[in-house]
Amino acid sequence: MKTVDNTIGGSPIGTAAAGSRLSHARTRKATIRQAISVLLRVLNIAALLLLVLVFALPFIWMLSTSLKTLPETMIFPPRWIPDNPVWQNYADAWNTGPFLKYFRNSIIIAGGILILQMLTIIPAAYAFARYKFVGSGFLFGIVMVTLMIPSQLIFLPVYLELSAFKLLNTHLGLILPFASSAFGIFLLRQAFMQISDELIEAARLDQAKEWKIIVRIMVPLVKPVLVTFALFSFIAHWNDYFWPLVMTTNETARTLPLGIAKIREVEGVATWNILMAGNLILVTPILIVFFLSQRQIIKAFVYNGVK
Amino acid sequence: MSVWEKLRPYSMVAPAIIVFSLFFIYPIFYMMYLSLFDWNFVSPDKAYVGIQNFKDLLTDSDFRQVLSNTTIYTLLTVTLTTSLALLLALWLNRKGVFHGFVQGAIFSPHIISLVSISLLWSWLMDPEYGLLNWVIGLAGFGKLAWLSHPSTSLVSLVIVAVWKGLGYNALVFIAGLQSIPPDIYEAASLDRSKPWTTFRKLILPLLSPSIFFLVIINMIGSFQVFETIAIMTQGGPVNSTNTLVYYIYENGFRFFKIGYASAAGVILLFIIGVLTIIYFKLLSKRVHYR
Amino acid sequence: MAKIELKQISKKFKDETIIENLNLTIKDGSFTVLVGPSGCGKSTTLRMVAGLEKQSGGEIWIDDKCVNDTPPGLRDVAMVFQNYALYPNMTVRGNIEFGLKNMGIAKQERERLIMDICGIVGLVPHLNKKPQSLSGGQRQRVALARAMVKQPKVFILDEPLSNLDAKLRNQMRTELIQLHKRLGTTFVYVTHDQVEAMSMGDEIVVMNKGVIQQADTPMKLYHDPANQFTAEFIGTPAMNMMDMRDMQGLEIRSATVPGYAGFRPEQALIGAGADSEGYEIEGEILTRESLGAENIYQIQSRNGVFFVKTFLAPLETMRHVKVTVPYDRLYYFGLNGERLRGVEASSKRPAAVGGR
Repeated sequence: MKTVDNTIGGSPIGTAAAGSRLSHARTRKATIRQAISVLLRVLNIAALLLLVLVFALPFIWMLSTSLKTLPETMIFPPRWIPDNPVWQNYADAWNTGPFLKYFRNSIIIAGGILILQMLTIIPAAYAFARYKFVGSGFLFGIVMVTLMIPSQLIFLPVYLELSAFKLLNTHLGLILPFASSAFGIFLLRQAFMQISDELIEAARLDQAKEWKIIVRIMVPLVKPVLVTFALFSFIAHWNDYFWPLVMTTNETARTLPLGIAKIREVEGVATWNILMAGNLILVTPILIVFFLSQRQIIKAFVYNGVK
Repeated sequence: MSVWEKLRPYSMVAPAIIVFSLFFIYPIFYMMYLSLFDWNFVSPDKAYVGIQNFKDLLTDSDFRQVLSNTTIYTLLTVTLTTSLALLLALWLNRKGVFHGFVQGAIFSPHIISLVSISLLWSWLMDPEYGLLNWVIGLAGFGKLAWLSHPSTSLVSLVIVAVWKGLGYNALVFIAGLQSIPPDIYEAASLDRSKPWTTFRKLILPLLSPSIFFLVIINMIGSFQVFETIAIMTQGGPVNSTNTLVYYIYENGFRFFKIGYASAAGVILLFIIGVLTIIYFKLLSKRVHYR
Repeated sequence: MAKIELKQISKKFKDETIIENLNLTIKDGSFTVLVGPSGCGKSTTLRMVAGLEKQSGGEIWIDDKCVNDTPPGLRDVAMVFQNYALYPNMTVRGNIEFGLKNMGIAKQERERLIMDICGIVGLVPHLNKKPQSLSGGQRQRVALARAMVKQPKVFILDEPLSNLDAKLRNQMRTELIQLHKRLGTTFVYVTHDQVEAMSMGDEIVVMNKGVIQQADTPMKLYHDPANQFTAEFIGTPAMNMMDMRDMQGLEIRSATVPGYAGFRPEQALIGAGADSEGYEIEGEILTRESLGAENIYQIQSRNGVFFVKTFLAPLETMRHVKVTVPYDRLYYFGLNGERLRGVEASSKRPAAVGGR
């Protein structure tokens, strides 16, 4: 007991009972433990902030570069805040190509794909989930095989196919291959299957016709899944670089990501400030949407994995 | 049952099935067919060469390097992403606004176009004025060549892939962790299980479906890497970052060796097919955990 | 109001026969309960009446009209489902209105009907809520209102109370009985709970393995079961059943030899005086359940374990007891479970029975 008191230092006056000394030591120990836990919490938060920095710094760097003059980008060690923000860079980036057209193309293609996908996956998923019909196993097999085939794998034959259909360099050519989604059918079928039979039976007793049951009762019930899938699909096709690159040979149907990537090829020297300005134009809308509906989007992408 | 009622399901699945058959199923067979021919896309007739394209590919030293590049890239990316993501998930698996924010931040690269990421990292990895060289300079290291030297180029691409994939992977793990009923931890602590034992004997096995899912998905994704290579290195320097899809793309669209490129495509199809089959085999073995 | 007739109904699922040759008449305006253990075919029968399931053979008549080819919506049948099956995306009003809209009823008329029904079941304050925000009892009421508002000829209820807690279930039971009185519509009610059946139905159809065991009034079922299954299914605890070969000292006169004899736990007397005539069994009390007004004893005897229920009597504390079953309270069953009537019984040597 004494040693403890000594090490702690503040030894109570001789008459103090052993019990009180003990409790004193305990409070001291508790204080130390508390201090350690506070320290750990602070360290944890610092580590978390460092982690955030690893992901945020590149974006901040992008923003900083996009406001610099070209000579300023070549200062080493780099400066974070440019002397005079050069807003002109954004206009310059925009003017390196027909960006209005790229933008329009992106909207038409990502939007067109989304609309067609909704129109094709809802009835298909419903039929697979709710009807028994001869050959449904085989047809669903086609869906599952498609789910496994990455588009990266078959671009060559599809290119030849589209060229035979005279669909290269058209919006339709970029939309049609994705007019339906195996992943969407898979996800939605799951959701339709989870709806209880009783609900459909109740609607039948209410004299509802088949199409009305689907439109008024079943589809509203899977709305969360539909929203999730829509986010997933739109973002994926908005961002897509590979497919439009491979399926276009001129500017008529090219999309925003291609336009941005092209800035690099246009200039002889690397004009990183213009490039980063263009990049920011591409990234900002998605980032804004992401931080507005972060939960939904994370769910959309992560559910891809946990199903 | 009326005729219409019998036809209804078919009419409902027809649009989707037509799209899939036309743009996914048929192209697979078309590609296999093309792989047996020598064709330059322009000439009207294709010359049948049997399996000559495959023979050429397997003896081509460039293609061998492409295969080895792709394999190294895949192995590095998958192991790093999955294991780091698991650590992050164990660390970040907490509710609350701040943790939500951190999760959002590390996830954000996943929804950004690969074009942006490639351009941004090209700049970050600029050997002269890049931010990365400044950061390692602060830590006392000399400048690295990053993408512009064969010895570091492939690893640089791996870093970009890990940076992009880490958040998504970690969040899948977090979702997996949260699907483990908390009373299992309570039962384990009543059984006086040490944290490390709990992790090894309980968390890891219960998480194995997520681990397998991510390993396979990451592998399939890495084998098809294209965008970062097309934008950041174009396969160089000296073929050090040339990978399968980029190789197919170059042979098909730059050199117009359609048959040759198709044969490479068939090989990639084979690799991805094997991975998919392994995934389903493992999946069917592991279902009893859920 | 309607009479329902099932003629020679059979139902097969793939190769499995669920119901064969079922004949049943449900009286106009009755409260008929189909009761039986799970898997006995009662729900299937009900769903065939509603048209949700197609019979494999036979005819269903509602009100002198064969409805074999009438789709469910046009049979003038309304149904309350076990899990209520409320449309979760619609409000209470939307749920009730959906069927009316499909029937093509004008808006004003719809509004009037909805308000009337909701007045009856007390849903007026909740009309604009979604089902998720209602309690179990309220959801049940919405399901009822949705069925009632269509003013059907027949009401079908498939275990509608099984998702409610005990107290609410009792309350809803009473409400349903009152509702039936008020509407006068034919109610067909399915349950596996014989207490629910007994307390609600004015006609009870006991089913087992796809066969109707007995269709009768509750009192007839209880006092005059047609077979061993009904006898054992109705009543808690179940009727005690003993092998005739174990019933030494019981003298019977009968055309056919009974295989089993049974008696209801509440009709046996413990420690009766010498003046009461009956078959006597001695045994040890294994357990006592005291429920206040009634006590239930589990007794081990030479004839096996059986139950005795007493009312408003002090708890029996003795271990060893003598139980007397009046002769006229004994039921006899043939070897195939059929009831044997007109069996007379007496004891050969009353004093010696069971006393060995």
